[in-house]
Amino acid sequence: MPKRKLDPLPSAAFQILLSLAGEDLHGYGIMRQVAEQTDGRMRLGPGTLYSSIQTLLEAKLIEEVDRREDEKLGHERRRYYRLTSAGRKLARSEAERLADLLRVARAKKILRGDYV
Amino acid sequence: MSEKIYARLLRLYPSRFREAYGDEALQLFRDRYGDETGFLPRLRLWLDLLGDLALSVPREYLRVEPELISSPVRLSTKDGPCLLVLGSQPPGASALLFGGVLSLTTLLMFSVLLNRGVRPVPLSALFRPVQGATDAGSSAINPPAPQATSYKGREGTIASASRQEPERAAEPSARANTIATDSQTNAPSLPDSAQPSQRQERRSQGGTNLLRGETKLDAAERRRVIDAAAAILKKYYIDRNNAQEMADALLAYEKSGDDDAVTDGTAFAALLTRQMRDVSPDRHLTLDYSRDPLPRRPGGQAPGDLARYREAMKQQNCTFEKVEILPHNIGYLKLNSFPDVSICQSAAAAAMSRLNDADAIIFDLRDNGGGEPAMVSLMAAYLFDHPEYWYNPRENISEQSWTQSPVPGSKLADKPVYLLTSARTYSGAEQFSYDLKMLKRAILVGETTGGGAHSGVWHRIDDHFGMGIPETRAINPFSKTDWAEIGVEPDVKVEAANALATAEKLAEEKLRRK
Repeated sequence: MPKRKLDPLPSAAFQILLSLAGEDLHGYGIMRQVAEQTDGRMRLGPGTLYSSIQTLLEAKLIEEVDRREDEKLGHERRRYYRLTSAGRKLARSEAERLADLLRVARAKKILRGDYV
Repeated sequence: MSEKIYARLLRLYPSRFREAYGDEALQLFRDRYGDETGFLPRLRLWLDLLGDLALSVPREYLRVEPELISSPVRLSTKDGPCLLVLGSQPPGASALLFGGVLSLTTLLMFSVLLNRGVRPVPLSALFRPVQGATDAGSSAINPPAPQATSYKGREGTIASASRQEPERAAEPSARANTIATDSQTNAPSLPDSAQPSQRQERRSQGGTNLLRGETKLDAAERRRVIDAAAAILKKYYIDRNNAQEMADALLAYEKSGDDDAVTDGTAFAALLTRQMRDVSPDRHLTLDYSRDPLPRRPGGQAPGDLARYREAMKQQNCTFEKVEILPHNIGYLKLNSFPDVSICQSAAAAAMSRLNDADAIIFDLRDNGGGEPAMVSLMAAYLFDHPEYWYNPRENISEQSWTQSPVPGSKLADKPVYLLTSARTYSGAEQFSYDLKMLKRAILVGETTGGGAHSGVWHRIDDHFGMGIPETRAINPFSKTDWAEIGVEPDVKVEAANALATAEKLAEEKLRRK
């Protein structure tokens, strides 16, 4: 079932996977990272964020790492999340799928320019 | 303060989610609340949170517990059955109390609903069509509706055989608001729901008053219906002068306040029908009220419907329920509808060829709610040795107005024919009875028929009101009136239950005298 839930990959889940590609983050960190990488277009609310995290955890695409403090945010201990190798693979295949789409769009002259 | 509000809102999530991520969610809220200061960012924060709540709360409740997914594997262990507990804690006192109150409320609601507002449906309706009361035989001379009920009857759940509106008929509760499309004029005919409400009305006056939740009409609604009715009359009614007069009459009654006292939909429809018929006594002109919303678009066949109809017809032998030879070589055919010729022609031919050597024929139409005019005419063709004018109130004269007689090989043209009728004999079956009676080709035994001619073309006014307006002028060679609303009188009046025995006796006598 979790597999079906993530197929097709919801954009929130994909953004979370991408946000964890660089470093391990806690929930708020993921939220900020996603907002940053989408130019503020996607601000994940707590419900969506943690429900996506839960789904990704169940599918073993991300994993929890030790709780620790984030010095910038005070002394509360926070759960950090890390991308697993399966998660990285899924994110890559999703990105490749999108790149394929992009190629098609360009071939059909819907999208112009050289980027990606 | 804000944090408290959000903590309260978090309680909307299922406990499973709260236990796992409640603290984190609250923490995230605190972080954002601390970072995003000022009026606009705060406003945006709250909008984000509310939007998020609206989306993710339902999703969390719909989430399938992983334990459930893996359970089939675990349940099939050798150690015998095992139970799976999804909650980690036993239900608390408040949950038990809430559950108890909820159950009691539901129970109370059932008893209240059963006592008022809901029309009781007898259990037998689930197994056999309730003749007359539901859409059995209320359709125009079109096939689907009567059959639709009979499938409902026999198979229980049935996704209808009604070819026009599968979704509606698929709900067992929804009365099939079939709008049938006339094969020849391509005009939609009266939906079934309109007629039953009228018929029900008649029944309830007869003493079996059923409590029904009628919507109250107000002046604005009345005004709207009258305006629409006047417009439709002027646009479609066959006699322009009469149309103008009727429209004027409706508006005049409304203006003088004659309609003001009526708040009941059925009564209002009956009143307007009466007002129109006072101007021009035309029994094919009706204004009907349907408690169930009328379908928005008439006609329109989905491809699956035809297949379903075909399948159902196949299963029921095209509603040719019984074909047998009774003592004294009397052929007996129980036919419960006049199904689509394109699907059932061979079934009809098979039935008629079995009867071909009989000395007399009894057609049992006591449970026949009508059907396709083409099939009515096809069945009649066997009974004549020359093309006979076949009156159909819904159609102008055309080539199809004559039977395709003689049918090659048929020996039935000169055999005595008896028709068994009941109050449930309706629509197309009444056409069969009326024409054969008028042509003196058959003797009708039983009860006066239901009285559904439906030669009108249906016009929808709104969700509950519609009009049947005759747009054709078929020539009735037999008399000024047909069977609309009055039914066909039998030649020999007996109770429907005794009709077969009586007809058998008559046929025997007739054959003996020969």
